[in-house]
Amino acid sequence: MEEKIICSMNGVGLYGVISISLFFIFFTGMLIWALLQKKSYLNKMSALPLDSGECADKANETSQR
Amino acid sequence: MNIETFKYDNRIVRAFGIATVVWGIVGMLVGLIAAVELFLPGASLNLQYITFGRIRPLHTNAVIFAFVGNGMFMGIYYSLQRLCKARMFSDFLSWFNFWGWQLIIVAAAITLPMGFTTSKEYAELEWPIKIAITIVWVAFAVNFFGTLVKRREKHMYVAIWFYISTVIAIAVLHITNSMTMPAGLFKSYSMYAGVQDALVQWWYGHNAVAFFLTTPYLGLMYYFLPKAAGRPVFSYRLSIIHFWALVFLYIWAGPHHLLYTALPDWAQSLGMVFSLMLIAPSWGGMLNGLLTLRGAWDKVRQDPVLKFMVAAVTAYGMATLEGPLMSIKSVNGLTHYTDWTIAHAHGGALGWNGFLTFSMLYYLFPRLYNTKLWSTKLANYHFWIGTLGIVFYLIPIYVAGLTEGLMWKQFNKDGFLQYPNFLESIVQVVPMFRLRAVGGTLYFVGALLMAYNLYKTAKAGKFEPDTEAQAPALEKAEATHGKFAFHRMLEGKPLFFTVLAAVALLIGGAVELIPLFLIKENVPTIASVHPYTPLEVLGRDIYIREGCLGCHSQMVRPFRSETERYGEYSKAGEYVYDHPFLWGSERKGPDLAREGGKYPDAWHFNHMDNPGNVSPGSIMPRYPWLLTQKLDIQSIEDRLNALRRVGVPYTADRIAGARAEIDEQAAKVVANLKQGSVNCEPDKEIVALIAYLQRLGTDIKNAPVATTAK
Repeated sequence: MEEKIICSMNGVGLYGVISISLFFIFFTGMLIWALLQKKSYLNKMSALPLDSGECADKANETSQR
Repeated sequence: MNIETFKYDNRIVRAFGIATVVWGIVGMLVGLIAAVELFLPGASLNLQYITFGRIRPLHTNAVIFAFVGNGMFMGIYYSLQRLCKARMFSDFLSWFNFWGWQLIIVAAAITLPMGFTTSKEYAELEWPIKIAITIVWVAFAVNFFGTLVKRREKHMYVAIWFYISTVIAIAVLHITNSMTMPAGLFKSYSMYAGVQDALVQWWYGHNAVAFFLTTPYLGLMYYFLPKAAGRPVFSYRLSIIHFWALVFLYIWAGPHHLLYTALPDWAQSLGMVFSLMLIAPSWGGMLNGLLTLRGAWDKVRQDPVLKFMVAAVTAYGMATLEGPLMSIKSVNGLTHYTDWTIAHAHGGALGWNGFLTFSMLYYLFPRLYNTKLWSTKLANYHFWIGTLGIVFYLIPIYVAGLTEGLMWKQFNKDGFLQYPNFLESIVQVVPMFRLRAVGGTLYFVGALLMAYNLYKTAKAGKFEPDTEAQAPALEKAEATHGKFAFHRMLEGKPLFFTVLAAVALLIGGAVELIPLFLIKENVPTIASVHPYTPLEVLGRDIYIREGCLGCHSQMVRPFRSETERYGEYSKAGEYVYDHPFLWGSERKGPDLAREGGKYPDAWHFNHMDNPGNVSPGSIMPRYPWLLTQKLDIQSIEDRLNALRRVGVPYTADRIAGARAEIDEQAAKVVANLKQGSVNCEPDKEIVALIAYLQRLGTDIKNAPVATTAK
């Protein structure tokens, strides 16, 4: 019984280490990369939803609200 | 530059919009009926089809998949076309998606009240419907990715990333959790048993909340909030971090639904830690949404669309702070199985999903019908009545949850349970159940006002089936320069992006689920635990059909307050033949894991006939039909064979002699009933149910020495 529990505990340590390392590597990489994005690109991307390409767009946006 | 003219499909958006309103009202009404039944058990009029156990899954499925599901499709079909500057890939697939989804909902609305259920929460629908869901989802995926391929906008806005994660994650979750062995057209048994089944189910259950109720709605928030506010999102950089951190972390957090259960401790800890880490991206997203309105708060005062959005995003923030806190083991020890969980779920459903859906409907209908909203005033009334409804719903239920949790754990000065009778805690919170129904009614009335307002808006305007738009054709193979252009290149290539997002999503699932299958070897098996007898299998299936697990858990946690009340705490090895597991997630009645042998057979008979006679003040409905309906013995071979295929060691001989075994055991139950002055024929459903209830948790009582086997 104890042997079984200890065996599975060893596995636990490994899974804990794998999980945290994966998370750390992934998160740090993603953070560095996000911080290095250029302002012009970010501005362009954030403006995307505001231009839907609709022909009646301009008329709509001013008259409806 | 080659400017192309094309048309956005508004018909499909309108269809999903109408379906959202209709199913929203139906789902909320069913919830209201369920809420009333909790303080007025007679409200089901002794009709088996509308008892709490059967309509609870109907309510959850209707709200999640019918109301929010249609709302999600509505928002995605509208925003995806505009973000891609392209019509949907295939009109046929759009309509296949629409009608397929509505048929699935109708099938659910018919089968769940009839008792056809797998019992796995938010995945209750039986296998033929599960297959239909898979087909419709694949059609949606093809249509979705097809649109991405033919898009005219090179870059994929962050909302699309959230949609992509939804499409992939829901497919993976649905398929993994639906692995089931049919035993007839409307009956199946989960491939997994006990602890494994529990972990797969809550890995699914948690991530269904994550990837059906959260990620698509975050994508919609990132689209509709800037649109309604008329300004770009506060920080696009933050939205990138929000996305990747969220999809990576969410998938790990499932085991927080199983804290202090028989699930191995390492999995519980993993679930708790990742749940806590989830606060960061969730709050990043919430702040990003709210800060988008910086300098535009005056608009919030006037525009009901923005009002609903602000309240929705705030509710998202509250729910995603509360969830991680509830995942802390010591907090969970108090909140789990109580109404606190219900309050948490409804904070998210009513506030986040409900209000964001309402805001989208108020935004879209005037645009689809080329007019103004019929009555802004009425929409404002809706906002306030809805908000009051949420407050009146949540506060009583928090009080109820806390009261239950504290009463269950209270010891007197002599070290005995202060409230040894479980019913005392329920009687105490019944007034709160009444108040909750008031809150639910207010919210429901708000939704009706909205339906009327949208109807009048539609009548006043003229529907525009297609919206003409123009955009330059996408230039192919545009060179990307610079060493940090990786992501720009990445989100320019949907397939590669999808693969990477899928990997981020699946890492957590793999690390949790792969050891799960190793656990199978590690669960300490208990020599005295045997498969259920054929009669008990039939009884267990009745237990599943009636949705007993909606109110009764089968998991004694290792707390003294629970072992004092229920008996020995539950062991993983006790559930190795449980296909599916029936641990439950809330207690409106006592835990039943050690129910066997506690009461005589006649007590159970009288209790099922009229619980109020045996336990005055009980809120359990009557089950008189169990006393008259005949047991379905014809299907026993199919059931046992299906169970054998998923690993329960029934021999061919035993299956062949199943009917004789049933007769023998039923005769014993009938004899016991006779001793308790109850006359009952052996072929009635109640006999099987009693046999099952009397078996629960008795295996280890018979031979308390636990041994480990391979």
